[in-house]
Amino acid sequence: MKNILQSIYFYLDTRFKLSDLIQFAKKKKVPEHKHSFWYYFGGICLFLFILQVLTGILLLLYYTPSVDSAHESIQFIMSQVKFGWLMRSVHSWSANILIAAIFIHMFSSFFLKAYRSPRELTWITGFFLLLIFLAFGFSGYLLPWNELSFFATRIGSDIAGTLPLIGNHIKTFILGGTDVTGATISRFFWLHIGILPLLTVMILGIHVLLVQILGMSKPIGIPENKVKEVPFFPNFILKDSLGWMLILALIGVLCVFFPWEIGQKADPFAATPIGIKPEWYFTFMFSTLKIIPAHIFSIEGEMIAIFGFMIGGLLWMLVPFLDRNAAKERRSPVFSFIGWVVLLYIVVMTAVTYLLPGL
Amino acid sequence: MKLKHSLFTRRQFLNGLLGGWLGALLASFLYPVIKFVFPPTREPDQVILPFADFRDMEPNSVKTFLWGTKPGILKKKDDGSYLAFVGVCTHLDCNVSYLADQRKFFCACHDGWYDENGRNIGGPPPKPLRRLVLSIEGEDLIIKREGGERVED
Ligand code: HEM
Ligand code: FES
Repeated sequence: MKNILQSIYFYLDTRFKLSDLIQFAKKKKVPEHKHSFWYYFGGICLFLFILQVLTGILLLLYYTPSVDSAHESIQFIMSQVKFGWLMRSVHSWSANILIAAIFIHMFSSFFLKAYRSPRELTWITGFFLLLIFLAFGFSGYLLPWNELSFFATRIGSDIAGTLPLIGNHIKTFILGGTDVTGATISRFFWLHIGILPLLTVMILGIHVLLVQILGMSKPIGIPENKVKEVPFFPNFILKDSLGWMLILALIGVLCVFFPWEIGQKADPFAATPIGIKPEWYFTFMFSTLKIIPAHIFSIEGEMIAIFGFMIGGLLWMLVPFLDRNAAKERRSPVFSFIGWVVLLYIVVMTAVTYLLPGL
Repeated sequence: MKLKHSLFTRRQFLNGLLGGWLGALLASFLYPVIKFVFPPTREPDQVILPFADFRDMEPNSVKTFLWGTKPGILKKKDDGSYLAFVGVCTHLDCNVSYLADQRKFFCACHDGWYDENGRNIGGPPPKPLRRLVLSIEGEDLIIKREGGERVED
């Protein structure tokens, strides 16, 4: 038995040069210090993305993207297909946990100033991954064609529609028409299983490749003697997989006790029920739009908020080039402070959405 | 007590433990996936039809209905009572037809024959046509699987 395995390994090794890879992984070192905990979140994002691909491919066996059958096919998956409830619940729960993990990963690399030279492109590709995954969430939400997602999509695309000049074009492009219809399902499906996965694979590939080439950053100002280095393989990988197992166990528990809801089939002509909200990761923007006064200096308040988010996002993406101190390996408390303000804003506005529903 | 010599080393023991655990984990992931990719049977538990559609049938005639994804055949006998079949040949799944003048069901695929009660009497069919249980409740004709059996496709 052992001999067979060895000769198989030998056969593959001479062709794929496996031992070089293993050598590389063993030589590669990951810094260990008091903040290393946060390094796990990138790997968790990667793991959850793979989980999304696998469960998504399985759901494709039964899901049909059309007005007449989308909701019915979800019902079929949840009630008739063996373990259908599990596959769909894993896909939905893990999607939400993935978004949360991306936010944690992003803020931790922000506070560790991991974006500083030479990792600017790692940060920027990461920012694009955030946008892509928000789009994954937005498009996936509509696919079950239920009441909540139908109206949330309407509101979401209406917000894009209020932009001057190009707003209506964007809205028509997103929806495949002027309203949320069967054409919208086709389009969102196209995005969700065609375009976005393709973009992800390309950008994620660059992101992870950059991490491999550049190695992990060390936080500014931690004295050299406080930083240990541990081998990537097997030490770091084993700890990584422990984290993955824990997340998987968490998802399993959530799916068993809180299987994902099916909701009411969307009826485009019914009155919108009260309390329609987008998915939780959009609520901080949603609530901002609700709170902001209708007019500020005779400019429409909503418009100011939308432009605010766009400019804020742009600055956030360009932070590696703005933070001159970090680029020179000096502390940059101003940027840390900005980071805390942004984080606090997102947390507070998200909480407000759920704690003050009458807003 | 200390054994002088053991059957396996500590390393072998730990490898076995880890390997066994990984194997069990993998199996527990694969099991739901394999179950998932095989679609559930589409065979319905029961079909409810308006009796009005069938009340005026001639004796010794048939009418078809949808039994899930297959044709069902409702036959009115000479005495006015009804029989229900799954209209699919028990040989290789072709759809059968009723020849009223000969009082036989016929399968064109390989020249298979059944009598008017669905018993196989000629050609390759190995079994009678599948019977369904039929009851009339008020205005509804209720057709169920026989004995609660569920036939997997
Ligand atoms: C699905 C989305 C993402 C995946 C799968 C992913 C994956 C990873 C992985 C595996 C690492 C190495 C381990 C670690 O440092 O945690 C990493 C590093 C990094 N990521 Fe991401 N990432 C994603 C999104 C983002 C986002 C949204 C940002 C920020 C806008 C970002 C910025 C970075 C940076 C700056 C590093 C380098 C960290 C360092 O060298 O210390 N990533 N990413
Ligand atoms: S399928 Fe009917 S006789 Fe062969």
